[in-house]
Amino acid sequence: MVEEIFSSKGRVKILRLLVEIGELNISEIARRAGLNYATANQHLDILEKAGLVLHKSFGRIRIYRLNEGNAYATAVKTLIEGWQQ
Amino acid sequence: MSSYFTVFKDESKLDINYLPTRLSHRDQQLNLLTRFFQFAIESPGQMAQRVLIVGKVGTGKTALAKLFGLKIMQMAQEKRINLRYVHVNCREHRGSLFMMLQRVILDFYPHFPKRGYSSEELLQMLMQVLDEQNVFVILALDELEALIENEGADALYKLTRVNESRLKSVQRLSLIGVLRRLEPLSSLDESTKSTLQRNIILLQDYSKSQLTDILTTRVTLAFKSGAVLDDALDLIAELAEKEGGNARYGIELLWRAGKYADASAASEVSPECVRHASSSVYPVQKDAVLSLGLHEQLFLLGLARRFKRSKEAYLTMGEAEEAYRVVCEECGEKPRRHTQLWKYVNNLTAVDVVKSKVSSNGLRGKTTLIGLPSISAVELERELSKRLGLQ
Repeated sequence: MVEEIFSSKGRVKILRLLVEIGELNISEIARRAGLNYATANQHLDILEKAGLVLHKSFGRIRIYRLNEGNAYATAVKTLIEGWQQ
Repeated sequence: MSSYFTVFKDESKLDINYLPTRLSHRDQQLNLLTRFFQFAIESPGQMAQRVLIVGKVGTGKTALAKLFGLKIMQMAQEKRINLRYVHVNCREHRGSLFMMLQRVILDFYPHFPKRGYSSEELLQMLMQVLDEQNVFVILALDELEALIENEGADALYKLTRVNESRLKSVQRLSLIGVLRRLEPLSSLDESTKSTLQRNIILLQDYSKSQLTDILTTRVTLAFKSGAVLDDALDLIAELAEKEGGNARYGIELLWRAGKYADASAASEVSPECVRHASSSVYPVQKDAVLSLGLHEQLFLLGLARRFKRSKEAYLTMGEAEEAYRVVCEECGEKPRRHTQLWKYVNNLTAVDVVKSKVSSNGLRGKTTLIGLPSISAVELERELSKRLGLQ
């Protein structure tokens, strides 16, 4: 599982964005990560299944954020924040 | 060490955005407003309220609403109620319900997507956000006329009825409408009108003695002790009273008179400084000009320049467009087309910055004539050039 999550540059970019910004919708995630919408969506599905991210729906809009209640997500956050410094 | 002498102690206290901790001669109205919203503190969520604050320019409408907002949020905080007061200027958001709701939702989700849904959807999303975060909102719609002009009756209907479709759930959205006159409401349907007009707080024009009180308070805060002569203050109050009891005009006049005193290295603000200042302060809202979009400002700058050279009272739309295109070229901006400019003229007319009328006899065809009745073109050009970095 861990290989699958971190083997993709796109997924790592998405995680970094959510750590840095907090909450974002899919289009914005795709734009900032330089991915197309469908790819970003697929990555987010995988990350959500792994429990690392959560989403909230407002009508057709889905807003994603890091799942702070998940120990792995917190560890990923610490890792990314540490790396950025 | 600078040898520069100034009569000011803290001129930020004369800024149009400065909110005093107490509004002179508006205690009763503030009290009434707090009474209307007492439920928000005592039994939040049980009901929603709609109140209108009506009064002429410079009668303290915006300040009253904002001060109330601060006060009620403080009261809510003490009782651990999650209540937010959100103040939105409809004119600054071009009278668009969508843009105003977006501004409210961005308070909760700063990265909320900016497009891709209708204003109805956005309103539902806002209610969802409020439910999820268990927040109560008092939304103040300043310059409500702009919303009615732009969206007609529909927008207000939706806003006033949003709680009705949620009968069994908690009532989270209350409204305060701030407007100059009640007439724009006549275009609304009967039910919206009656819902809105139930609670009206009418702000009367300030009298001369009330204006003197207000100005005295500001003088104490903004000027060095004894820097403003009593006669000068009296003259400002008199001029502000003539401008329809406009306190904002009086405060701006006070600031400008102080600047004239500084410029002439005087140690006191005398009536002569006031006379000087009154010939240059235009009795329109300065913030009306400052809140305009870039191209509206460019258009206005074009007008000001043309009027500076012209002896005519009115320009034709064609002349105005030509002057605007020159300004655009200077700024490296792509000029907007005729219809957009025509909308700008309507907007500028609505905020009393320009006067427009349709040409009558004497001109071939029909065109819009634009005048600058109450602002000095020189002064306006200076102000806009400074803002647009053209000086």
